[in-house]
Amino acid sequence: MDTFFSDWYYLSIRNIKQIWRPALALLPAIFMPVFFFLVNASSLSAFAKVPGFPNVPYRDFIAPVAIFTAIFFSAGNAGIELVQDITNGYFKKLIILPINRLTIVLSKLTEVAVQAVLQGLIILVLLLAVGVHFATGFLGILAIFGLLIIFAMAWSCLSMISALRTQNARLVQSMFVLVFPFLYLTTSQAPLNLLPPTFRLIATYNPVTYIVEGTRALVLSGWSNPAIGEGFLTAGIMFVVLVSLTLASFQKALK
Amino acid sequence: MSNESAIIEVTDLVKTYPGDVKAVQGVTFQVKRGEFFGFLGPNGAGKTTTMNMLVNLVRKTSGSILIDGLELEKNLNEVYKRIGFAMQEIGLDETATAREMLELHGHLYHLPKDRIKSQIERLLKLVELEKVADRFTSTYSGGMRRRFDLALSLIHEPKILFLDEPTQGLDPHARQLIWGHLRELNEQGMTIFLTTHFMEEAEALCERIAIMDRGQIVTTGTVAELQERHEARTLEEVFLKTTGSNLGEEEVNLNAPDPYARARM
Repeated sequence: MDTFFSDWYYLSIRNIKQIWRPALALLPAIFMPVFFFLVNASSLSAFAKVPGFPNVPYRDFIAPVAIFTAIFFSAGNAGIELVQDITNGYFKKLIILPINRLTIVLSKLTEVAVQAVLQGLIILVLLLAVGVHFATGFLGILAIFGLLIIFAMAWSCLSMISALRTQNARLVQSMFVLVFPFLYLTTSQAPLNLLPPTFRLIATYNPVTYIVEGTRALVLSGWSNPAIGEGFLTAGIMFVVLVSLTLASFQKALK
Repeated sequence: MSNESAIIEVTDLVKTYPGDVKAVQGVTFQVKRGEFFGFLGPNGAGKTTTMNMLVNLVRKTSGSILIDGLELEKNLNEVYKRIGFAMQEIGLDETATAREMLELHGHLYHLPKDRIKSQIERLLKLVELEKVADRFTSTYSGGMRRRFDLALSLIHEPKILFLDEPTQGLDPHARQLIWGHLRELNEQGMTIFLTTHFMEEAEALCERIAIMDRGQIVTTGTVAELQERHEARTLEEVFLKTTGSNLGEEEVNLNAPDPYARARM
């Protein structure tokens, strides 16, 4: 136990450095949310005048989605890096070190959390620059980051499970397509009451809807909105389930 | 009962993969402290599987493995502190520099900071990579990667060094350089367990040799003993007489996940 935290720390530092190596790899995860936010905020701004739409600018309505998209696009990197370690043989070197092997997975999750914060901060600066108002203030921004960190770690587990089970880089990279149904079959672009019935049904069962709504409540409403608690609860459940599955896959890979 | 002069004791080691593929069939041998031990055999003989079992990268089906008197599976981390392993596939972190990797591994072996620093300088000098230590390992040539991999496996000054084909793909100069380092390490007391396809390498370096074929050890001894026993003039002749040719029976890891399995369904 005395070396558990130092092993976790040093492996995390190694993984965190991978975030900007190469630095260009960071661009898509920044460009995509900024692009979608700017395009949607201007081209769909009239949507805010539709009866039944909350009384807020469309720009503010989709602001949480911008932060979210950045995390969606980058959380899969953990699995890609892991499968690279596996296929080039470095993973074998790691597992014959005198360390607690759990720290290999924990350090990947730490990397994901750090990347979520870094990318979230960049998008946050943009949102503040274009005048998005955060109803819950500074504490609300901290809560948004807390929620998104939990979600990012949970989401990254999908790619890590894929890496550990298939050990195939192309399959892990293809997990990227999951972003689209999970992000767009939610209330990310329109409130639940304005979605067509089929979409509404899917969005109701899509756990990401609750994370989006929780984040949105922190931006638009206030602390009393129950969506905040539901968001944290959903992210927490996803975290526990997916991290458990990742650890099970990791144990299986070690055997 | 552990034999004190032996640092590696393997008894009745068996590895059977699913489908009743017998990769290793009841292998028994000992490696003495400070010995330079060669482990030879044709492709698919079970050498790499055996070596991987010695570090628990492959789980044994049955048998016993003692490393420095410790039962491997019950004392993994204690064993890992005592061994270094330069594998056949040189797995490096391509997003890190050589210095960063050595530093990371030093920390993960829980060495004091000043020792990590001195070890890094010593090892980089040893493998002649001081000038490129701050370059990403992805920029290294094959020979540089091999040399660096050797340095990485030595960061914690292990008692036992496992080497799986350490000079594969190297030019004669680089090979001589590695041989020189290995001799020096062995003279300093390090036990070295080497698998190689190069007979001249085994002949030049190893005090004792075991030849494996079809999952079993077929002969063991010094080069002179083997030549006398098998009435051969060279080690290569001993190798050919004891193993014949097994092309087409190369080792397949049937446990490896098959990413195309679903696509074929």
